This record gives sequence, structure tokens and C-alpha cells, in this order.
Amino acid sequence: MPRNSDDEDRKLYSERPEWADVTPVPQYQGLNPIAPIFYTPQYKDATEYFRGVISTGEKSERVLELTEAIIRMNPAHYTAWQYRYQTLIALKSPLDLELKLMDGIAIQFLKTYQVWHHRRLLLTALHDTPSSSSSQPAALAELAFISRVLMVDSKNYHTWSYRQWLLSYFDDVHLWTGEISFVERLLEEDVRNNSAWHHRFFVVFGRGQQQGEEDRPEVLKRELGYTKDQISLAPNNPSAWNYLRGILEQTKTPFSNLESFVQLYVSSEPPKQDILDLENPAPGESAELPCVAALEFLADIHEQAGADRVQKAIEIWKSLGDKYDTMRKKYWEYRIREALASS
Amino acid sequence: MPSQPPPPLPHFARTGHAAHCNRCLTGLPSSQIDVDAQTLAVGFYCLGTLDILGLLESKTNEVERKDWKEWIWEQVRTGSYGTGFKPGSYMTPESKSLSETDQFREFDPPHLIMTYVALLSLAILRDDFSKLDRQGITKFVRSCQREDGSFSSLPNSGDSDLREVYCAFAISSMLDDWSGVDVDRAIQYIRRCMSYEGGYGQEPSGEALGGTTYCALASLYLAPSSKHRDPGTSITPTERSRMIRWLVQNQTLEHGGFSGRTNKLADACYCFWCGASLHILGASPLVNSTTLTTFLSSCQFKFGGFAKAPNERPDPYHTYLSLAAISLFPPPSENKDDPNYEEWKNVSRIDPLLNATLETEKWIRRHVPAPSHYQTFESHEH
Repeated sequence: MPRNSDDEDRKLYSERPEWADVTPVPQYQGLNPIAPIFYTPQYKDATEYFRGVISTGEKSERVLELTEAIIRMNPAHYTAWQYRYQTLIALKSPLDLELKLMDGIAIQFLKTYQVWHHRRLLLTALHDTPSSSSSQPAALAELAFISRVLMVDSKNYHTWSYRQWLLSYFDDVHLWTGEISFVERLLEEDVRNNSAWHHRFFVVFGRGQQQGEEDRPEVLKRELGYTKDQISLAPNNPSAWNYLRGILEQTKTPFSNLESFVQLYVSSEPPKQDILDLENPAPGESAELPCVAALEFLADIHEQAGADRVQKAIEIWKSLGDKYDTMRKKYWEYRIREALASS
Repeated sequence: MPSQPPPPLPHFARTGHAAHCNRCLTGLPSSQIDVDAQTLAVGFYCLGTLDILGLLESKTNEVERKDWKEWIWEQVRTGSYGTGFKPGSYMTPESKSLSETDQFREFDPPHLIMTYVALLSLAILRDDFSKLDRQGITKFVRSCQREDGSFSSLPNSGDSDLREVYCAFAISSMLDDWSGVDVDRAIQYIRRCMSYEGGYGQEPSGEALGGTTYCALASLYLAPSSKHRDPGTSITPTERSRMIRWLVQNQTLEHGGFSGRTNKLADACYCFWCGASLHILGASPLVNSTTLTTFLSSCQFKFGGFAKAPNERPDPYHTYLSLAAISLFPPPSENKDDPNYEEWKNVSRIDPLLNATLETEKWIRRHVPAPSHYQTFESHEH
């Protein structure tokens, strides 16, 4: 019988002859439990047989079927996951088939921790099994699967964490190579996808950086160029500005290197550029200006320069608090106080 | 430009919030089967709500409170891993002797996050903790710490990220016993979770996230001082500024509440996670409490409970965290002419590090550490 047959019409385990040899173990709820759940007959039945299986330590094909049924009713039942995994290992079940089965469950229950934890265990086992000639195809297939899931929910935290874990764990140059173009595809669809920006940082400056990109000045130049281009397309995008700050701080590059770029975004009107400056792309015609993040950035440049330029920073913070970002007025006033206290 | 008066506050559904939580404590519908393995957490959010509203005594009776305490104590498990609380009875067999077998010790074990919420819940219920196996709990915490400094939720398995680090730190702080934690190694792990944006990801290299930023910060401030470490000093001034900037940026223009990540929508729970983080950093005046109040009041379901966002369904988790956020950031004085102002302000103050009302925190400090600790403490005071 296929393991993933439809649960809905299935008989209760207590009505199935092939389970007659298992003694179901009822649950002890206590006399006055906190927040007891009104179980469905199917869930109550399946979990009683699960306790029955646990009590004898049975690890068999039918246990795989039972745990799958429970997981489909309650994907956060971590004991069912845990026991399922141990059963798979005990039976030496083909883990690639398990991954295939899990694909559908993962997409159905994207926001459940256990779905992703189980995949980590499976990939780790595939990696550690000496008989498997190479775990790299499995990891490559896994990257493709994650990409499909991210098409469904492009900001799912668990999915991104899992992708980052996979890349770090296998740490193979073939896995890292496609990551930047993958991120760029996602950012083309939604330039405000912070998870994609974060992943880019992880790939370029995190674990991925050893992989054939030894020429760091060249990498910084590429990243600055890419980020400036994205800012020019959508100036009021905190993800891109946070990334810009992140790469400058990471490479210890002074913010002031970007002064001429930032200046293009701080007036109320788009700047008139006589010559197209590819290094410093200007905001588009329809951009909402001035850009708050650019004003903040320019104020930081002034503050870092010190001396009489601190006053210029204070004027910008005042304009942010009074006019351009009134919601964060208290924050901008705090920046003024901090600057005055340290100057 | 004169600032606009804040929008009127709706009626504060105080008794409705209590009723929502009382209903959940009594039972949950079958559509909630997915919380079967975290019942104690649901219980904590419900009891915490009643506590923060000051309604535990009036809206529940003594028999119920006694029963709940007994039930929580029934979740205690002891094994080679030490002692802790399991999430509920979802795996517990009817037969007591069966539940004491190795099989069930392994597959119905204590859980680190649930041990934290169990201690908080018992304190809310003013348990005297005479049944607490303090050394066993410390041993359990120790058996959950991993090589990289993080903690797993179960002995030798389960998730391990900043949530479990926080629970290990909070438990050790409550017990006033840190012998179960290699603090330096745990702090190294926390530091590896810091993101370029300023907040902490859930695990190393993760995207900055409100909830886990709270876990990291609260842990660093709960950590005991030592010769080479004062509370909070694991954060450099630059990191602190960057963190404050990121947290403040998460208060969204669109709705006035906090989002958990850059460019995401506001969610009631992040009003607590980000707001409490700013509070811990001593930067709570930087929160715009006007828009925060407007947002949280729009998440209130008029018959009781809070939802993550307007027009969504309420649940105990968002109800408790919304109230905890209101406790830290009550409506500002601009609202004081509003007829509902006093009602919205009338929420107990909380301790942001343990996430409990000040009264409950006091109870914890007095009753959870080993009695000898407390005597020493008292004799110092006299």
C-alpha cells in the first residue's frame, strides 16, 4: 500500500486487522488539565496506537505509515517526527524516497519547525552514510527544492535558515556558485525582500566568501555597484540601505566614499545629470524624494567627519524629525543629543 | 506644524480578554491540534494575561488554580538527563508504570522551553515551589547545552537556537544557580547570531529577527556578572547603536506597530519583542507610543483577545504579548482626555527580562532559588 494514500477515508487503526496485534495505549490527561484539546476520533486513535508502538519499541514499515498519518494531522508533533526518523534509520529506508515524500508535507506545513528539522537530519544522514557515493547530488537537488518552496513563500524564515544551513554544512563550491544569481532573481521580483538581501550578505561576506572570490576589492566594487543600482530603482527601500551599510562596515570602508551617490537622493527634486554617471546612478523620475535613508546616511557622514560638520548632521536630523520622518522624531532627537554629548 | 490628535481609543475589552483566556484554559477546539505538543505554553499565555490584567483572583477560583498547579507538577519528568517539565500530557500513557519505562522516558522527556514557562506559570499561581527539584533542573539545563554553546530543547535532540539559550538563562536566573550553564560559551554563540542589520538572527548567519533579538538581549542582561563580564557588556557601543537603529526602524510607517524584520508588516507580538528589546537597551523613550497604541488597539478583537494584525483572529499568544507591550509602553499623555485612556493604562507593570509582572517576578526571586540562598539574602538585608 502506498504510504501517502489519502487519510480522510481511512479506517481507524482500531478497526484495521493488520494492527490488531498492537495494544493501543490511551492518554493520561489528568483530572483538570490546562487547555485540553478536543481531539478528533482519528487523532485520538492514531496517537493511542503510536503510544502502543512506543511501548514495545516497534520500528517497522507500518510505523512509518502511522507517524506520517499523525504528522499530517499535527505537523508540530515532534515526537512522531523523532520516532519516524529513528525508524527510518533502523529500517535502513531509502532516505531519498523519504525526502520526496516530505516535499509535499513541507510545502503544506511551511511554517512548522519540525518539517525543516527533519530534512536537516535526513541530509545529515545522507552526508554521513559511507555507502552513498556522493551526497552532493542530494544537496543540489535540495537547493532546487528550496528554490521551489521560496517561490511559494519568498520570505519564509525556516526555509531560508535551512538553505543557509545546507550551504554551510556541505560547503561545496558547486553549491555556492549559483547563489548570487538566485538572489538576484528573487530581488528582481521583489527588491524589498529582506531575506534575499540577507542571503546575499551571507553568501558574499559570510560562509561563502572563501569560495573563489579572493579578490575582495573587486567583490566590494561589484556589491556597491549592484546595491546602488537597486537603490536607484527603488530609493525608499530600507533593505537595500541596510545592506549598503552592512557591506561598508564589514569591509571597513568609510561611509564618506559614497557621499556623491547619496547627495543625489537628498533634495526634493531629482538631480539634473548632464552626463550619465554609471558609478552613481540617480533616482528615477517618479522617485519619492528626499529619501529618508539617504538623509540619514548623509548625516552619518557629517557626524563621522566631526568638527563643524556635526552641525550639518544636526540640521538633517532636525529635518527628519520635523518633516520627513516625524514618526521617529524621538529617535532623531536622541541622535542630536548623542552627537552633542560626544562632540 | 501642529501635531494631529491621536485617534480615539476603543473600549478596552478587559473582561473579554480574561474570558478569551479562561475559555482556552478550559479547552481548545480540534482545529488547535497543532498546539498539542505545547500545551504548557498556551497555559502560560493565558495565565500571564490574567496576571497582567490583575484578574487572576477574581476571574478564576481557588479550586481551578489548585488543579492547574497540580497538573503542571504532573508534567515533571526525571531521568538520567535531570529534571524538567514536559509540554503536557500529549504522549503520557494512562498507566503510571508504563510511563516510568525507559521507552517513555526517552519519548516523553522534559523540554527546555516548557520548563521555563512552567516555572513562570507556577509563580503566577503563587506556588510555594516546595516540590521543585532544583538540582535536577540545573542538571537538565546542563544536559541540553551543546558543544557550540547553544542549547537543544530536548536532551540530545530538538531545535537549538536563541530561544533555547534564553530559556536556559532565564531558568538559571530564576534558580539563582548558573552551574548548569557554560555562560561564556553560550555568549559566544549569541554573538555569532548577530546580523549586519543590527539585530540577532535565530541562529548563526540568520536574518535579524525581533523575537530572537529579544532572546539574545534578555540573555545577555540576565547573565551573571563575573570578573571579566558585567551585564550587557558583551555588546559594544557601535553594536548597541546599530541595534537601536534597526529596532526603531522596525516600527512601521504604514500601521505604527513593529514588524519582526525589515520590510515586513507590523505584528502585535513584535510590539513586545522589539519594544522590550529597546526597553532592555534603555532606549524605550525612542518608541513612538502614540502609533504603537493605535496599532495595538486596532488588533484588539472587540469581544476579547488580541490578534497579530487588525481583522485577524485573536489567540492567547498575541493577547499576552500585546498586553505585555502595553505594559511597557502605555498610551502617552496625549491620549489623556480620551474616555478610555485610564482603562488602557490600567495594566500591571512587567519585568522585561523574565517577561512576568513585577509581583510575579518578586515571587520568583523569593521562592524559586534554593532556600539557603534566600536566607543568606535576607540576613544581608537585616
